[in-house]
Amino acid sequence: MRKGFIAAIGGLLFLAILVLIDLAGDWGRLGEGFGNLSTFLHESMWPPNWSVLEARSYPVCDREIEFFCSVGYIGMVETIKIAFVATILGFIGALSLSSFAAKNLMPMPIALVFRIVLSAIRSLPSLIWAILFVIVIGVGPLAGVLAMTFYTVGYLGKLQYEAFEGMPSDSLEVSRAMGLSHPTIFTSVVIPETGNHLLSQLMFMFEYNVRHGTVIGLVGAGGIGFYINTYLKLLQYDKVLALLILIFVVVIIIDLISLMIRSFVTDEGDVRQPKWFSFLLKFKKGDESEQ
Amino acid sequence: MPEPLLTISNLSIGFKEDLVRDISLEVNSGEIIAVLGPSGIGKTTLVRTIAGLVRPRQGSFELHLPSQGGLGYIPQRLGLVRHASVYHNVNLGARASLPLLKGKREERNERVISAVSALGLKEKIHEPIRRLSGGQLRRVATARALAQRPKLLLADEFLSELDHSTVDVVIEAVQSLIDSGNSIIMVEHHEENVEMIATRIWLIENEQLLDMSIEEWRKRQEEEE
Repeated sequence: MRKGFIAAIGGLLFLAILVLIDLAGDWGRLGEGFGNLSTFLHESMWPPNWSVLEARSYPVCDREIEFFCSVGYIGMVETIKIAFVATILGFIGALSLSSFAAKNLMPMPIALVFRIVLSAIRSLPSLIWAILFVIVIGVGPLAGVLAMTFYTVGYLGKLQYEAFEGMPSDSLEVSRAMGLSHPTIFTSVVIPETGNHLLSQLMFMFEYNVRHGTVIGLVGAGGIGFYINTYLKLLQYDKVLALLILIFVVVIIIDLISLMIRSFVTDEGDVRQPKWFSFLLKFKKGDESEQ
Repeated sequence: MPEPLLTISNLSIGFKEDLVRDISLEVNSGEIIAVLGPSGIGKTTLVRTIAGLVRPRQGSFELHLPSQGGLGYIPQRLGLVRHASVYHNVNLGARASLPLLKGKREERNERVISAVSALGLKEKIHEPIRRLSGGQLRRVATARALAQRPKLLLADEFLSELDHSTVDVVIEAVQSLIDSGNSIIMVEHHEENVEMIATRIWLIENEQLLDMSIEEWRKRQEEEE
């Protein structure tokens, strides 16, 4: 089993390298490219310009703490707002579609129709959705919210119906045999059984949408991406780097919050988690016994 | 006057091949039927077929039960919602026969309390399922069936993994179902449990189902010894 797994991974890696060689063609360009990247980083991007966290010169800041009038704060807050609304709306929309797309909850023909709908929504990247909504309702955060909501429905919908299909079948079978209705089975059996997965996906999607706020902002759909786009056009790459670092910090904070929230619904509270100390000690013991 | 709850006509069950062939019989209210036979002979498949989870290979069966919660089911793996409390799981049974739309919340609540009390689980009512022992989980699954009050209960080894005193508690609790004229079809391995509760035996051997009274089964046991 283990040998077969290693052979399969090795085979896939070999195949990937072959395809890469076919795609890349001229490897000499890679060496030159690294040189260009190094020059770009040292001369244009580094060090990050933290003036993006200071108050803008216009409009005049009327708050006591300057940071709250900065491009970084305003852009980030708008991105988080867009991501939050889109994630919640998208999550609810995805739940309603994915409950019909799971093979263990619905007959195959119905599940297939809903899977096709979700695939169609997902096949357009969020950037294309953003361009579409900017064309329809104009530049601004509302276009960003709608673009992210649609993309979230397609993306979360797939993750959700896969989570539903992976749940143990025995509780579903009992519910059906007892004659419980589809809505009762979904809300009282499926949701509790997959709650941890759903919450994890929700938090992942929120984090993804915050990160993606940079991309959809490029086409005028609001958020921190709007400012990144502006600085890119003005060739102020040091400010772009500062904003990217800010996004990185926010993503880490969201990840920590996600970890905390999920600890309420996982089984972790019932078992002793390994500590670094015991982990190292165990290894040491094993080494000694082997000697 | 006993009323028919289940009519089976020329039923053959199995998957790629028949496990049991040509079953024709009737189950009336107030009967407790123990399905006996060696492992892998088709006892669970028979119960799952009646529960509507496995398609019959041939023949048919008809359930004469109310559409709302008339049929109860305790599978071998119990089918409990793991990430929920005892109350949530037992309440699912009550909701099967008294759906939310009927607005009988008080009645559902009473059923849940009385079922968990009968099975000695009142102190555990708000405990998450994952913190219970194997025996307690079996009692929760039985409480779910009690709260549902089905006319026909299908129970697959619901008395296994229980110690003697707990078996007595469970049988006493289930007795209330039987006293109300409901029926049970139970898969069972332990003869002492069959002796305690069953009124009729379905013995599966050589792809045939032999339907006999408990007295006939006892006589057969004596002859074999």
